[in-house]
Amino acid sequence: MKTEYSNLEMMVIAASRLLQNDQKVLVGTGIPLVAGTLAKKTHAKKMKMLMEAVAYDCDPESLPFCVADPRAVYKTKWLPTPVEVMGQYLQSGKIDVGFLGGAQVDKFGNLNSTCIGNYNNPVKRFEGSGGASDIALMAKSTIIIMSHQKRRFVDSVDFITSPGWYCRQMDGRSQAMRNDMGLSGGPYAVVSTMGVMKFDDTSKLMYVDTYYEELGVELETIQKETGFEIDVSRAQPIHPPTPKELEILRTKVDPEGIYMKY
Amino acid sequence: MSAENIIELEQIKDFVQPGDRVWVGGWTLVRKPMAMLYELIKARLTDLHVVNQPGGPDTDLLIGAGCVSKSEANYIGHEVFGHPYNFRRRLEEKDGSSDFLHDDWTVGTGTMRILAGALGIPFIPSKFLRGSDLMNPDNDGFKEIRATDPKVPKKKFVTMRDPFWEGEECILVPALRPDICLLHVQEAFEDGTCRISGGVFLDYYAAMASKTVIISTEKIVRGEQPKKAYDENVIPGEIVDYIVEVPFGGHPTAVHACYDNDPLWFQEYIEASKDTESMDQWLEEWVFGHDSFTNYLEKIGSKQLDRLVADPTYGYSPNIIRRLDKIKEVA
Repeated sequence: MKTEYSNLEMMVIAASRLLQNDQKVLVGTGIPLVAGTLAKKTHAKKMKMLMEAVAYDCDPESLPFCVADPRAVYKTKWLPTPVEVMGQYLQSGKIDVGFLGGAQVDKFGNLNSTCIGNYNNPVKRFEGSGGASDIALMAKSTIIIMSHQKRRFVDSVDFITSPGWYCRQMDGRSQAMRNDMGLSGGPYAVVSTMGVMKFDDTSKLMYVDTYYEELGVELETIQKETGFEIDVSRAQPIHPPTPKELEILRTKVDPEGIYMKY
Repeated sequence: MSAENIIELEQIKDFVQPGDRVWVGGWTLVRKPMAMLYELIKARLTDLHVVNQPGGPDTDLLIGAGCVSKSEANYIGHEVFGHPYNFRRRLEEKDGSSDFLHDDWTVGTGTMRILAGALGIPFIPSKFLRGSDLMNPDNDGFKEIRATDPKVPKKKFVTMRDPFWEGEECILVPALRPDICLLHVQEAFEDGTCRISGGVFLDYYAAMASKTVIISTEKIVRGEQPKKAYDENVIPGEIVDYIVEVPFGGHPTAVHACYDNDPLWFQEYIEASKDTESMDQWLEEWVFGHDSFTNYLEKIGSKQLDRLVADPTYGYSPNIIRRLDKIKEVA
């Protein structure tokens, strides 16, 4: 087992560490699925992982292509429909953690997976919300995971697909702080390829909590790759991956490298 | 449903008209009724209004083949395989020439809308959508046609304070009322009763909500009565209008306990879909170039299909090469 590791591996491991045994976690497709599965196979064996299309309490032996994949179904304890997972578990407030990716995130943790540019005449169009908008709104807390690049970490997202701390009001145009709107939940952390960001208790602005020092990431680099001024004064180096975390990720979670691209 | 409503694949086109709101069952990469969609494309059907939530290669392909004028969906894409270039291109057309309208939703609201359709109620309150730009009236993809098109709800949504309890803000979303529901299942009986394994997704609700329900099935179980294993039956024959037997009818999507996703198909399709010219060539080669679905499967080849066959223990195939960037190295 080689001891070197990549930023992508550190990102997935850092995200998995945020999940706990007593939680019900609704995971989105892609990297969130990898981190959720890693948590299930390491420190959070009792955590319940849900997938919006079909699965309650799953622990896949092979990583699913999507949240409806037969791999998500294998050995899963109950196969609900989206009416139960989204309409009931999520909408009635029974999901502890929503785990999402996206194309853009802003300083308030708003996520965009819809388009770049004007919605009605987009420069670039993406696949759309899927369940992300609902999960970011109704889960008790949200973890966001995405590659750290200036074009992705922006001052203000082009389109709020999934509400963070500074949301669209009921008129669909003006913006207000999430708590002032009476909405619960909200983003807890953004895990990137450079570090783990959290949100200030008062201002709800993103700050750097930990960073991947051992991989050569410097706080100046994080600021350079972030499209807004980010507070790095509280940043601590992250604990590097343990040999066990790396081994399980490489041999049990994604041995094919579908998401990790070995 | 009675036994005379067991039809041939070629007949599908007789039941779908331009302007119809079509629900395509399954979920992104899983259990999509692809053989039926190839047939609709071959019939050069246009002006379809796709309402399925969410869409995968099914929806991107229908759009790329020019069959769709309107879509309302929470997602259109190929998940880990790559991007939906046909869908993207239609919305990124800069010269205003696009006559394709798209209305964005979410899985939560899409679920509530088809549930309302199945319940026979005109709308349903929901907590979803709040806080997002999907609530901006400028971002209503159907705003120009809501007043005039009877197949489109008059409003995207209405906000309302809960009048019964604590007065929380709710969003009322309109029911989805598909004209046609196309599903692909593992087994159907001669009376239309369907068995699905590996998750039903929204298929039952969509069948209940739709005017006409057409099912393609891996296998028609003849003779045996559905009551023998009634707990595996998920759609009653009564709400099914037609069934057609099409083994591998969900290819290239995965059908639990039957076969897996076909990564080679996705690789070739996604590459071709990057521009209209190569997409048209792909359609000629893979859709218009075949006089039957059997023909299409022969072109895919038994070597490729055998590799997709599901392991009975897992419900998927542990034998496929799943990384598109490495397929060519290994295959």
